[in-house]
Amino acid sequence: MLELKNIETFYGNIQALRDISIHIEKREIISLIGANGAGKTTTLMSICGLVPARFGKITFMGEPINGLSPDKIVSFGISQVPEGRRIFPQLTVLENLDMGAYLRNDKSQINEDLEYVYELFPILAERRHQQGGTLSGGEQQMLAISRAIMARPRLLLLDEPSLGLAPLVVKQIFGIIKKINSEQKTTIFLVEQNAYQALKVSNRGYVMENGCITMTDTGANLLKNPDVKQAYLGI
Amino acid sequence: MEYFLELLLGGLTRGSIYALIALGYTMVYGIIGLINFAHGEIYMIGAFTALIIASVLTILGFNHLSILVLASLVAVIYSAAYGFTVEKVAYKPLRSAPRLSPLISAIGMSIFLQNYVLLAQTSDFMPFPNLIPDFDFMEPYAHVIGSSELVILLTTAAVMMLLTVLIKFTKIGKAMRATAQDKSMAMLVGVNIDRVISVTFIIGSSLAAIGGILVASHIGQINFYIGFLAGIKAFTAAVLGGIGSIPGAVLGGIVLGCTESFATGYVSSDYEDVFAFTLLVLILIFRPAGILGRSTTEKV
Repeated sequence: MLELKNIETFYGNIQALRDISIHIEKREIISLIGANGAGKTTTLMSICGLVPARFGKITFMGEPINGLSPDKIVSFGISQVPEGRRIFPQLTVLENLDMGAYLRNDKSQINEDLEYVYELFPILAERRHQQGGTLSGGEQQMLAISRAIMARPRLLLLDEPSLGLAPLVVKQIFGIIKKINSEQKTTIFLVEQNAYQALKVSNRGYVMENGCITMTDTGANLLKNPDVKQAYLGI
Repeated sequence: MEYFLELLLGGLTRGSIYALIALGYTMVYGIIGLINFAHGEIYMIGAFTALIIASVLTILGFNHLSILVLASLVAVIYSAAYGFTVEKVAYKPLRSAPRLSPLISAIGMSIFLQNYVLLAQTSDFMPFPNLIPDFDFMEPYAHVIGSSELVILLTTAAVMMLLTVLIKFTKIGKAMRATAQDKSMAMLVGVNIDRVISVTFIIGSSLAAIGGILVASHIGQINFYIGFLAGIKAFTAAVLGGIGSIPGAVLGGIVLGCTESFATGYVSSDYEDVFAFTLLVLILIFRPAGILGRSTTEKV
């Protein structure tokens, strides 16, 4: 579905990604794990076009998407839950969700999806007329995920959805990610520092270090891998 | 009391014009963080276009109402096209440049447009026809408020209500607010930023043109320099109300207009600017973000 081939991305003269190749098949959950500064977020930025790759090729459903503007890439069916949630703080919860469905015109379908996310996160229904900036961190993460779902994406990119959240909320968020994958048939690309949780829900995983992919295997195998255990699982 | 009322209505009239222009400054600032110094010139171009169209239509023998409607319509469209083009030519190429570069470009654009009109038209004051008729039913109140003042007040109120509805309830309005709050996130939900910015310039320029026509018709003469003065005042109003805030621009305009009007009426017209800018300084000392411009607390 999504394929990155030999991607090299730069910030000015500084190279952040070196020869990254990743492929994601339909309905998979794929995770990308690695330490701070390894280039995980940059990988997502290159996919969504905010920091375009300088070399290499990105194809989505067989069509090349590198070099396109971010809003064009979104229209192909790629949605992102960015690092730090990035809720529109002065828009209400409902308006934030409306923005998620910005490119859609099927009103009745949008309302159905709205009911769906309210079912996933009842707290959002309660707070629908509250400004996004007044929500707690966990609620904002739920809103960010819901906003992305409202686009009915074919591929959902999640950047550190567990960052800074209470363990109970983290569990809930990962549960929802699995649920979206099975119920909405959405393919998921998960970037995480919380390697254990991420690999547990993933079909396959990639390990990233200093801008390079150093390992790739099934989620279960990576969890058993001694190097991964030592470096990312702390056991 | 009657004198007070007259000053108050005069202040409101003046203030609503400032507000109309200030909206253009504040909307552009909210979205791309740029003080569009060429905005005053758009106001001036609106007035000149209306003058030219009105003159031609008068020669062709059109009646009063159709002149008013057609001249305004053409002036608004023409100014909107100017605003749109200025952004594409002078600001868009500098979007990722340091903040100072587009600012200088804006000042350059302002000087360019002023001199272009100076050369294309004239440096003298030109008489502007009174497009707004004197209503008979206003006769008894003529000592407090004139017909054209009433029209200015009603027009600006209507325009501002339309703008509020647009920004609050329409899809493009929501996209504008989202873009102002987080540009790259807006892109990630599929908003075409270029389009939002263009729409902002088009709306702001249309408002300025409406202001230009109303004032020119009220005062009765224009020249190439009117945009600069009106622009500075409206910019002051925008800062006063809190730049980036739409209700702030309206409030700032009204406060500034009334201050000037009362200063003129009770002290001397020589001091109207002194009072206006003293007010600005005081507000910036005690409320640096402007009257309504407050940095909302955001949880992270």
